[in-house]
Amino acid sequence: MDNNKNLYENAVSDLLKPIYPNRLFKIWMAFLIVALGVCVYAYTIQLRDGLGVTGMRDYVSWGMYIANFVFFVATSLVGMLISAVLGLTGAKWSAPIARIAEIIALAFAAVAGLVIIVDMGRPDRLLYVFTHGRVQSPIIWDVTVVTTYVVISALLLYIPLIPDLKICSERLDKAPKFQRRIFKILSLGWTGSDEQISLIKKCTRVLAILIIPVALGIHTVTSWLFAVTVRPGWDSTIFGPYFVTGAFVSGCSAVIIAMYFFRKNYKLKDYITDMHFDKMGKLLVLLSLVYLYFNINEFLVPWYKLKKFDAVHLQEMFYGRYAILFWGTQLLGLILPIILLLFRKMRRPSPALVISLFVIAGAWLKRYLIVVPTMEHPFLPIQNVPENFKFYSPTLIETTITAGTIILTLLIITILSKFLPIIPIWETKHNQNESKED
Amino acid sequence: MQRKSTFKIFVLFTIVLVNTGFLFGQNWVVPAEKKAKASPFLFTEVTSKQGEAVYTKNCQSCHGNPGKDNALKSLTPQPPDPAADKMQKNTDGEIFYKISEGKAIMPSFKNILSETDRWDIISYIRSFNKSYTQAAINTNASTSSPVKIRVKFDSITKKLIFSAKKATKKDSVPVVDAETEIFVMRYFGNMQLDSSQQTNDSGIVAFSIPEKLPGDSTGFLKIIVKMNDDATGEKSDTFKLKIGVPTIVPGLTANRAMWNVVSKSPVWLLATYFSILLGVWVFLIYVITRLVKLKKLGKETK
Ligand code: HEC
Repeated sequence: MDNNKNLYENAVSDLLKPIYPNRLFKIWMAFLIVALGVCVYAYTIQLRDGLGVTGMRDYVSWGMYIANFVFFVATSLVGMLISAVLGLTGAKWSAPIARIAEIIALAFAAVAGLVIIVDMGRPDRLLYVFTHGRVQSPIIWDVTVVTTYVVISALLLYIPLIPDLKICSERLDKAPKFQRRIFKILSLGWTGSDEQISLIKKCTRVLAILIIPVALGIHTVTSWLFAVTVRPGWDSTIFGPYFVTGAFVSGCSAVIIAMYFFRKNYKLKDYITDMHFDKMGKLLVLLSLVYLYFNINEFLVPWYKLKKFDAVHLQEMFYGRYAILFWGTQLLGLILPIILLLFRKMRRPSPALVISLFVIAGAWLKRYLIVVPTMEHPFLPIQNVPENFKFYSPTLIETTITAGTIILTLLIITILSKFLPIIPIWETKHNQNESKED
Repeated sequence: MQRKSTFKIFVLFTIVLVNTGFLFGQNWVVPAEKKAKASPFLFTEVTSKQGEAVYTKNCQSCHGNPGKDNALKSLTPQPPDPAADKMQKNTDGEIFYKISEGKAIMPSFKNILSETDRWDIISYIRSFNKSYTQAAINTNASTSSPVKIRVKFDSITKKLIFSAKKATKKDSVPVVDAETEIFVMRYFGNMQLDSSQQTNDSGIVAFSIPEKLPGDSTGFLKIIVKMNDDATGEKSDTFKLKIGVPTIVPGLTANRAMWNVVSKSPVWLLATYFSILLGVWVFLIYVITRLVKLKKLGKETK
């Protein structure tokens, strides 16, 4: 019993230690803030001069921003996969990484909303979306479901955190007073009574179930923004599941990358183990295979039929202007990772990190390939317009702003993971006790 | 299937159009008496500005911006740039005739643009030609001798009968041998009824009207008559006549539809959207009340 208690004490101090900021953290934060400052400056230029500073014109009116938006929504889906699907099916191994997944989900979903505002030439008119929005428009469905998903993700991050916040407020004696106060307020007077525990369990369960349809909804609706049109490349009935699986792929790789850095920098080797990388690697292979299956459907079937307008689109993708990007993305971002991750050795932390970086880069580029080429091939011929209306290429300002959204996400993840225990302390203990009793 | 055959017809149509273009060769012959036709007004900066607006709307898509050489190159024959020699070496009368009648791909604008609009365009086109000087204007066409047109509908023969009289100093005389066309006004452009005819010696001309022309809700139609006689120029008049079938076309936004405003969106959609929204948020609100309870419990134990 004593031994057990010691173990717990060790765990608490292990898990709380990363919360004190160290030098590396300060350097990293300074870097993020400076970089973000540059990007915000780029955005002020866009605000002042309008969307003309981007590469978007009359025909390609959805460019890098929308591709980036789809990527963000996609990556945020992983929260649902890990804390709901794995959690509800009783996969205990995923408990230590659930909070990482939730933080990623919340950060990506929240910034996804910002990305949309960035894509608006007149963000001051944002309110009109709500006052004049039409329920017939998938854009309104998207706004609704993204907002809901952000709320659920935030609650799903917060509620299991309540006991940990209490621990933080009591045990972080070297932290500034105000920080401990905030922890205390947020812990809602947690005493650990059975009634409170059952309340938390009930809430988490409700949310874990609720988040499944909402998460499926968020990305299905995002895919509908494209699929409800008749344009070649978008006019597809499998876009919903195609997007959802693609989302899990990019989310899983994001979690693996985050796991690697948290484990290394926060010295959490005992909690995020090789086993976790192995399991996440397996999950990633499984999802990638499903995604590959959808890709084959999405490209092979229209390719076999080669309808007039599809042909223009597909030729451009397969051996035209987008060939290098397309095949690079499919081979390096999907097929090669699948083959490699089938080997146990490749699911160890370092190789898994490298593979995940390829997968996530591929995931981003894949969204670009979904959005942009279709826009360049409207049904009506493009006539009497300047050359730069015909082909889209993002400008420096646009790219900087896009980079800014990624930096902002990293910043949010960094802050959340720094000021909150990244591994659930109370749950770890609670689960230990429960398994003892069994 | 439907789509495919429409498409085939379209292709066929285009081929025919393109070929007639070839068959007619490059020479576009304008009847001699039309060549000398002159504008009824002087070309000024104002008329040219008005012409520019009409040009931009009706011609630019094919002919491009004058002087920029950006006409649609994919058409055969190619529409010439208005500032280019090919266009400018026409007389005003020739250009007027070509715009009015059209040829192959070049549409006929006589039923779409008024004569004034057409002359305005020519004024605009000429503004790109430094060496152009306007020939004498056609003072004949001035409205100094007003023509009066009356109309009568013969319900037995289903004919519209027009009679035209020109007022002179003493009395009025019939307008004889004037080329007359009538049109019915549609949503977009006008549709010619019957073929063009000439007024007889008593200044009378009759047109047969198709049965069951859809009119407005009370059966009224707007009939435009254009009478052209060399001595007086063009005279055009519009009559509102109750000769159509009363038609009530519900507006596209009258009923609930996907494309309508929210308050007129389909019921099933509203129901689905709001029930899902409510369904999800009821649970979220429930969770929040549990949190409030959790906080209360914390206070009690203290
Ligand atoms: C659908 C495309 C199209 C539109 C719209 C169009 N044109 Fe044309 N136009 C043509 C083509 C093609 C030709 C060449 C016809 C030929 O040479 O047989 C032409 C020829 C002409 C010519 C004769 C030039 C010559 O060679 O002598 C004139 C004048 C002209 N257009 C004026 C106009 C004006 C004014 C308008 C607008 C009110 C207009 N066009 C709108 C396609 C178009």
